[in-house]
Amino acid sequence: MNLIEMNSICKSYRNIGFETKVLKDVTLHIKEGDYVSIVGPSGAGKSTLMAIMGCLAQPTSGDYILDGEEVGQLNDRKLSRVRNEKIGFVFQAFHLLPGVTALENVTLPLVYAKNPPANVKDRARELLAKVGLEHRLHHTPGQLSGGEQQRVTIARSLINDPRIILADEPTGNLDSKNGIETMKTFDNLVKEGKTIILITHDSEVAQHAGRIISILDGQIASDSQVSHEEQTRPH
Amino acid sequence: MRIFKNLGQALRGLRLNRGNTILMTLGVMIGIASLTVIVAIGDGIKIKVLSRIANMGFGPESFSVIAGAGRMFFARSKNTTSMSLEDAEDLLALPTVRLVVPRQRKSMQIINKKEFTNTRVYGVTPDWQLARGWKMIDGDFLSDSDLDRRKRVVVLGATPARKLFKNNDPMGKMVRLQNNYYQVIGLLEEKGLTESGYDPDDRALIPLTTSMSRLTHQTYLHSIKVVALDSSQVPETMEAVRQILRRNHNLSAFADDDFRFITPEGIMQWVTESEQALNRMLILISTVSLLVGGIVIMNILLVSIRERVREIGIRRCFGARRSDITFQFLFESVLVSLLGGVMGVGLGLAISFGLKRFDVLPTHVTVEPFILSFVFCTLIGLIFGIHPARKAAFLSPEESIRS
Repeated sequence: MNLIEMNSICKSYRNIGFETKVLKDVTLHIKEGDYVSIVGPSGAGKSTLMAIMGCLAQPTSGDYILDGEEVGQLNDRKLSRVRNEKIGFVFQAFHLLPGVTALENVTLPLVYAKNPPANVKDRARELLAKVGLEHRLHHTPGQLSGGEQQRVTIARSLINDPRIILADEPTGNLDSKNGIETMKTFDNLVKEGKTIILITHDSEVAQHAGRIISILDGQIASDSQVSHEEQTRPH
Repeated sequence: MRIFKNLGQALRGLRLNRGNTILMTLGVMIGIASLTVIVAIGDGIKIKVLSRIANMGFGPESFSVIAGAGRMFFARSKNTTSMSLEDAEDLLALPTVRLVVPRQRKSMQIINKKEFTNTRVYGVTPDWQLARGWKMIDGDFLSDSDLDRRKRVVVLGATPARKLFKNNDPMGKMVRLQNNYYQVIGLLEEKGLTESGYDPDDRALIPLTTSMSRLTHQTYLHSIKVVALDSSQVPETMEAVRQILRRNHNLSAFADDDFRFITPEGIMQWVTESEQALNRMLILISTVSLLVGGIVIMNILLVSIRERVREIGIRRCFGARRSDITFQFLFESVLVSLLGGVMGVGLGLAISFGLKRFDVLPTHVTVEPFILSFVFCTLIGLIFGIHPARKAAFLSPEESIRS
């Protein structure tokens, strides 16, 4: 079953009368449990594609069926709920709330959850322990290293137990050691059954995925499966 | 409840953006402080005047007629010489009048050997004591024979008695007013300072006839106090008094009265009117400052939202609805406004107590400003918060996380 089903998605932005077409007729199907990289040069439309996949923006035309639900034209209320329940975001710039402890940053999505679990703090602690930060629960982002911050964002993306993890250049702000650590975390999440979509322009990072979709000028240029040998090749 | 979570996030937002929070409270704080002080001054003045009225010895059935046109305590002309003892006699003849006390009044030095003090000296008739109902602690009040024989006798209030005689008994001693010596024949019971600081005991009473011939050298009266048989008869008695005085003073139909009335209701009305005029002006001022406070909140909130675009974007990514963002920022503005209100009430109370303590203005603190400021602050927070909050809520989540 396709978890993500995009059919003929177009997205254009209108700016002072000029219409810029960012996505042109993108059709893309992603199955549950897939590990997908989306690559392409900057300005190709990767981020816009991710914004639409993550329900942060809506397509100008085309259908987007997420987990069996047509989300292309949902209202803000329903769209927010879809984001809250089905998608976990990981950003290049981490995007943690400044001045707020790691523990509270991780619980942020539960603030907006419809039925938050009773043991919110325990769950957050568990997830922070899982990413190796059990000793940093009460540190604020400013007191954490880049690698540690990125691990907090991964814990945050998992707190609502979403089907999909959308990671936008997750290693972009990290040194190679932390980058490798982060990618290992994603590799493990796939094994746990999460669907992971990586947006990157780093081909080595992209190689971790089982499928690489290349975007060029708002269109899909190539869509290829990666063999197991390539995936485990040392960096 | 989701809305309480937004409230929690708002509290956190205010804590994390302390600088902006403090700036935002300032405008409202000043507005509420001035409102608090205004209400306290208004109430203080009212109480002061009320206690003054109580100490003027007005019962509900009495009023005063003062020589000279004008209103209340403010004479339009001084040295009106038209009110005479004959007027007083004619007023006493009215069927609804129980007592009439003609008076002269002069502030002057009263001297006992080397001790002296300034006091209010009244020339009155024996009925003064009945009209005031003021008890004696020693000796007797002025008598008819004192009046007939223009005797040089004086009844002292507690304040000049204490100042002139310290711990000695003043009874029978001589005190000097101008160049004449007066024997002390009685002492008035002490009433004590009023709340407003007016001293009703600071007075000396001599026979009206003595006052006319030896003190003021005037044959006309300064005022007449009239006591009606019953308080319900006061209005008709006043009208009758007016007719008699106008006739006695030969005033034409077009001339203004050359006298004026002071009644408890008249004073109250005058106080209320002047208080209202004062209040209108002050309320206008505090409304303007509250409005400015609201605009300050709105502007700083708008700047704050620009600084916090990313935070808003992050919240939206993880499931915050537009309404969540709206409520968060609306809560922030209401909370900040209420915080300003609490600080303003505090500052206002401090100023009010200061004004009273250092005798600048009478103030009286009531619960009113607390309720008023709670209502005003909530309204200001809502009115000036809605625009920034909506603006924050309608930021595109896609663009705000890229910023």
